[in-house]
Amino acid sequence: MGFLAESLRKAVFLIVSGSPDVLSAVWTSLFISANSILLASLLGIPAGMCIGVGDFPLKRIVLTLLNSLMAMPTVVIGLLVYSAISRRGVLGSWNLLFTPTGMILGLTLLALPIVANYSLSAVKGADPRIVPTALTLGATRFQSLLQLTREVRFGILAAIIAGFGRVISEVGAAMMLGGNIRGYTRTMTTAIALETEKGDFAYGLALGIILMGVALGINALLTFVQEKRRS
Amino acid sequence: MLSAADARLKLSTTTSTQDAGVLDVLLPPFEKNCHCQVNVIAVGTGKALKLGESGDVDVVLVHARPLEDQFVAAGFGLNRRDVMFNDFVIIGPPDDPAHIRSVKTAADALKRIAAAQVPFISRGDESGTHQKEMGLWRTGGLDPHGRWYRSVGQGMGETIIMATEVRGYTISDRGTYTKFKQGKTDLKILFEHEPGLLNPYGVIAVNPKKFPWVQYDLAMQFIDFLTGAEGQALIAGYRVGGEPVFFVYGRK
Amino acid sequence: MTPALYELTAVQVRFGSRVALDIDTLMIRAGCLHVLIGPNGSGKTTLLAVLAFLRKPDRGSVVFCGSSVNWSGKELGRLRKKVTLLHQESYLFSGTVRANVGFGLRMRGVDQEETHRSVKHFLALVGMAGFEERDATALSGGEARRVALARALACRPEVLLLDEPLTHVDQESSTIVENLIASLSRAGTTIVMASHDDQIEKRLPCMIVRLNAGRTPRHEPAPEESA
Repeated sequence: MGFLAESLRKAVFLIVSGSPDVLSAVWTSLFISANSILLASLLGIPAGMCIGVGDFPLKRIVLTLLNSLMAMPTVVIGLLVYSAISRRGVLGSWNLLFTPTGMILGLTLLALPIVANYSLSAVKGADPRIVPTALTLGATRFQSLLQLTREVRFGILAAIIAGFGRVISEVGAAMMLGGNIRGYTRTMTTAIALETEKGDFAYGLALGIILMGVALGINALLTFVQEKRRS
Repeated sequence: MLSAADARLKLSTTTSTQDAGVLDVLLPPFEKNCHCQVNVIAVGTGKALKLGESGDVDVVLVHARPLEDQFVAAGFGLNRRDVMFNDFVIIGPPDDPAHIRSVKTAADALKRIAAAQVPFISRGDESGTHQKEMGLWRTGGLDPHGRWYRSVGQGMGETIIMATEVRGYTISDRGTYTKFKQGKTDLKILFEHEPGLLNPYGVIAVNPKKFPWVQYDLAMQFIDFLTGAEGQALIAGYRVGGEPVFFVYGRK
Repeated sequence: MTPALYELTAVQVRFGSRVALDIDTLMIRAGCLHVLIGPNGSGKTTLLAVLAFLRKPDRGSVVFCGSSVNWSGKELGRLRKKVTLLHQESYLFSGTVRANVGFGLRMRGVDQEETHRSVKHFLALVGMAGFEERDATALSGGEARRVALARALACRPEVLLLDEPLTHVDQESSTIVENLIASLSRAGTTIVMASHDDQIEKRLPCMIVRLNAGRTPRHEPAPEESA
């Protein structure tokens, strides 16, 4: 119990004192997670929806593949991206390793299957009358898909929330691709890993509490937006 | 945070070097002088050198002389210079169950631990510390195995914590141990000050001929700073809990 | 004889191995009310889907306004703006009644002011004046039906297709809808309506198209004229 109490004390102190290292880690986490989930959504939502709505010969295989990607260990994705963006890799000249951009690339790939899969589920579970109704009222194919998105927006929002949870809690790939550079690529999670490795468990736990607070805050905000629109 | 105009010097080093905290006193004055940002990537010794071998960093700071020499011989690095040294110590529970306080050499100390079968935690990660440890076992003609010998594949900090938890022994660099002495471990130094336990640090610039994109000039500026009067003074004056952590060679 | 708006020839629609629609020839005349009569599963809904350009037949040709339909994306977009289908159980989009009824107008690029006016007009027409701001998903069955009808009518289509608009509807709504259909037909809108009720020809002047197991009677290529 002493451990926890000490950590809570430390957490409060860190927040109140506005420690620059902590603020930097929080900002980096949010910046990288926001960009990753934004890209993953821009790519994953249309992809998931089109696969869900579409009817094409390899659909079964694509669905199985998408499901398997969700179970892929993040270390594997981290390794794949690392080997691509390292100087020796195919994208070496882009100089992405140990930069926030490199991290965003990796985390986007992590969130992509989740967002796509949840979006796919959202449209699969949608009323089959939505698209024909929009079409017969004069919508183009594209407009009818937009309307479909509006009708299943809560499912889509769930996809984004799930994807966000994934990226903000990521340690392994973030460490590998970012290098945990202080003030540059050090996120809350990689900072926690570092503090744990140094044996400073209380500091690590304190950061963990802050991380949970941030995640809770964002989820609460998103839920509030959902509720507001419902009423 | 980084400004777009600042040049970035990528330095790979070991986790123990970063954890020791000496970079926190060395980097700010250097960054101010050269108007650049030093990005420190702290990983295991092997990986730190591998990053140099792929041209992913501009300069390497490690403490594994044989590997450093290989690195330069293979053409990956230029201008290797000695920067500082500290030493390894053997730490263990204050009551010293294996009675290593009175031995003459480090190899003998390990022999006694093996004989007493008291838990010994090995880094097991091919780091400089681990290689030093393996060298000592070899010197004593031993091949350690058994339940008492635990190879954990972790960093120095975690290794010390583990040794503390199981009331066992381990080899640590003095710097990390000094940091942990303040509240994270109650293990004591039971053997030290043997020439064989010296831990020299070398800094190497990554070869621009092999990797044209590396910041060679900045790297050389950094090396000159570390080995110059100001850098050496900062290193020598660095204290943790009132104790020195690194030592310089005292030339110039 | 009024000109043929639709000419279907050898049209077949399959769902898997089941033949849902198998029509030799069928003509839908402009400006007339056609009633598709047939038991459940006789292909009425499928035929309406083809006429609405929502379902491409697996075989056969459809000629609309004198041109053969080639079912390409662009063309379909154009055609669907002329023909509106009201499903038997309509789906109302989440949002207000106003947003629903104005949907077709928005798709056609009508400005907001004009849309507001039209929405008001068509809601009044179906006896739902004042319902603009109501939540479309919280309406009773009959109310929802009428809003869906208003939504379809607001598109001002050349052809209005209705799938069982009078079935399982309360008396008040039923009367309103039937009167609307009658007045639309008089005003010249082509209407094709599926129904169970074969007494309907006694109340509305129309052409009967009988369907049974997806087929129209082979020996009578043209729909009967009602007495």
